[in-house]
Amino acid sequence: MTENIDSLPDSFSVIHTKGTLDWAYPTFILASTAAVMDRQVELFFSFYGLQCVLKSTEHLKVSPLANPGMVIKSPLGPQWFKQVDLNNYLPQLIWTLPGMTRLATWGFKKHMLLQGQVPLDELRDLCVSLDVKMTACQMSVDMMGFAESDFMDGLSFAGAASYFAVTPGQQSLFV
Amino acid sequence: MMELDVSGLSCPMPIIKLKKFLAENPEKDLVVTLVLSDRGGLKDVPAFCRQQSLGCELLADNDELRFKIWRQD
Repeated sequence: MTENIDSLPDSFSVIHTKGTLDWAYPTFILASTAAVMDRQVELFFSFYGLQCVLKSTEHLKVSPLANPGMVIKSPLGPQWFKQVDLNNYLPQLIWTLPGMTRLATWGFKKHMLLQGQVPLDELRDLCVSLDVKMTACQMSVDMMGFAESDFMDGLSFAGAASYFAVTPGQQSLFV
Repeated sequence: MMELDVSGLSCPMPIIKLKKFLAENPEKDLVVTLVLSDRGGLKDVPAFCRQQSLGCELLADNDELRFKIWRQD
């Protein structure tokens, strides 16, 4: 890339609304990368996205159900088997069976670690240490019946107006 | 020359580790060899160095990537 870096905005923001493990990774990966590139980073967690900033991330899951874009490869077994995208062969019905979401989540976590990715809570802590600003949507918190004590340290609570007051006018991602 | 080996880590960890290493080693004449296995680093590391006004040279591109990185005036 050959952009003039002087023309790049010095801040970056993401509105995060998804409450699953697979959607949490891109937000925290982008946020931490932008932070080390000296961007001021603001993350705003709304609706189901609040799940990603609760004290623990252990409950976050991945479901291949109605997710045809998800590549599902076994982290275990012979090499030829690990290359097969199971989502191309297994009927969606199978993911409705009891325990399949847990199995898919286990496989996803295993695959991420094998790829050299860190666990999500570690990545999230890294964002905090890199001074990424995180805000939980107060309206969503109230609507879902959470208490502020349910959430991770370092999180602010505010409405959308507060978020837009401190974020760039031309660059926000909606996840 | 110091060496920072971040092999086995994928995006964004190599860049984060490099940034932390630079913060912990503030010498003006710092020269470090960065070793990584993440292929994305082939473009990411030079981009990061450009943005941080660091010198950067690719030394090896095989199973692992090796960059020479240094502070410049």
